[in-house]
Amino acid sequence: MKIDLLQMVENGGCSAKISPGQLEEILKYLPLPVDPNILVSIDTHDDAGVYKINDELALVFTIDFFPPVCSDPYEFGMIAAANAISDIYAMGGDPVIALNIGMFPSSKLPAEAYAEILKGGFDKASEAGVRIIGGHTIDDIPPKYGLAVVGYVHPGKIITNACARPGESLILTKPVGTGIILAGQRLGISNEKDVNEAKKQMKLLNRTGADVMKKFNIRAATDITGFGLAGHTLKMAKASRVSITLNMRKVPLIENVYKLADQGCIPGAAFRNLDYADADTSYEENLDYNLKMIAFDAQTSGGLLMSVPQEKTDNVLAELKSVGLLDSSVIGSVATKAEKYLYLSN
Amino acid sequence: MRIVDTKGQHCPAPIIAAKKALKEASMGEKFKVLTDNQTSLDNLCRFLKDNKAEFSVEETKGVWTLTITKKTAEMQPKQTDEYCDKEIPHFTRGNFIIVFSSDKMGEGDSELGYLLMTNFINAIKDFDELPKKMIFYNNGVKLGASDSPVFESLREIEKMGVDLLFCATCAKYYSLEEEIRVGSLGNMFEIAQVMASANNILKP
Repeated sequence: MKIDLLQMVENGGCSAKISPGQLEEILKYLPLPVDPNILVSIDTHDDAGVYKINDELALVFTIDFFPPVCSDPYEFGMIAAANAISDIYAMGGDPVIALNIGMFPSSKLPAEAYAEILKGGFDKASEAGVRIIGGHTIDDIPPKYGLAVVGYVHPGKIITNACARPGESLILTKPVGTGIILAGQRLGISNEKDVNEAKKQMKLLNRTGADVMKKFNIRAATDITGFGLAGHTLKMAKASRVSITLNMRKVPLIENVYKLADQGCIPGAAFRNLDYADADTSYEENLDYNLKMIAFDAQTSGGLLMSVPQEKTDNVLAELKSVGLLDSSVIGSVATKAEKYLYLSN
Repeated sequence: MRIVDTKGQHCPAPIIAAKKALKEASMGEKFKVLTDNQTSLDNLCRFLKDNKAEFSVEETKGVWTLTITKKTAEMQPKQTDEYCDKEIPHFTRGNFIIVFSSDKMGEGDSELGYLLMTNFINAIKDFDELPKKMIFYNNGVKLGASDSPVFESLREIEKMGVDLLFCATCAKYYSLEEEIRVGSLGNMFEIAQVMASANNILKP
């Protein structure tokens, strides 16, 4: 029997996240933990928490899981693992161990499907040098899978979303558009080549990009996932107390993403993200509508967005391309805080 | 009045339907979009507002009716078209070219050869990936003459973004310079260079 996980979901991948605005509402009732060893917590909406063990070592800790983004269970496992591990890379950490977290409708799908998902997760984790040392599964529909990951980082070398400085350039390492391609796939209007490209990008570990960041001593970065390019950039601008301009025409796109957006293939998650960011965002008067909505497209296992000092930009870009991240592009710039946090321009 | 019924559909399907109707409507034309989903309604309203369409919403028994008037001729600013044309090909093009050295396909009966060639060219439009370029020389240039059975197909392929290059010497030799109304004429250097730099060459 051919298993098609997509038959079971309406919103796959990071599109299934709760809206960022709603999440902030909920989290504000939660007291922030007080402990001098907590170096990064949820107050800056960063990719992962960081806890200091001693002057040489801190733990980066994150969790991510979601419903299927593709039909094949093995591929889904790989994508979910790459996406979860990405948060460690975005913080400058080295991922070490992980736990599986899963939900699986055991009466609706054959057990082999779950075995395949876990195998995909295991293989991707192994590629990242991560040992999976346990897990937890609930019987539930639709299936969901991901990892809780622990990484190591030197307390002095943490990369956060709160360190972007005026004058720096923003570099993105993967093309954007996975949400739109996947929505189009569900409606049968994405072509197979573009779907395969999206899957390839989602499976790609952010390790190579992270190695380049470390080599050039980059201090500010985040990875692009469910809140979309604009949503995560806004979080970076807020945490760093700066204004960021994104030049949308410079943003690398998966082929045909623009065409799909122009057909109106704009997933619900993009509208949710737009809603969240609207009050803090200024749009250039003639901003192309499709590019605007692409900026808010929820990404699954998206690229790293790093804020790079001007004098290093060319070298970082060249290095990213030489390690195989050929779509890497300078897509924006950081300035002192103006009226809005985020400026979207053509 | 046109009615676009998106009941039972989730985003992005209602947006796609509304956008299509908006594109097809003429200036000042009204049409209705129906939805029974609150999220789709919110997203449709936001979409219409951002695209500067005039609209009103009524609700009866859980079904919302949006009455939309197209207000701006240009759905997107002019730059969008340029952007589309330059950076995003509407059709996917593969890394191969097709070379036509004859107006017939294969060796054998010439009537069959013509027929096969016609079928071949008509099939190109439906390829998953279009060729980068199509090159015509010797008898091949006759395919581009305005009375050729594949002339319309070639024009369509050209419109899809494929460059058609005809051998100028050959066109002159067969006195077809005025007859070839598609693609462009090129010299042997251009033809040789295109062939030399192609990853794959298809020759029917």
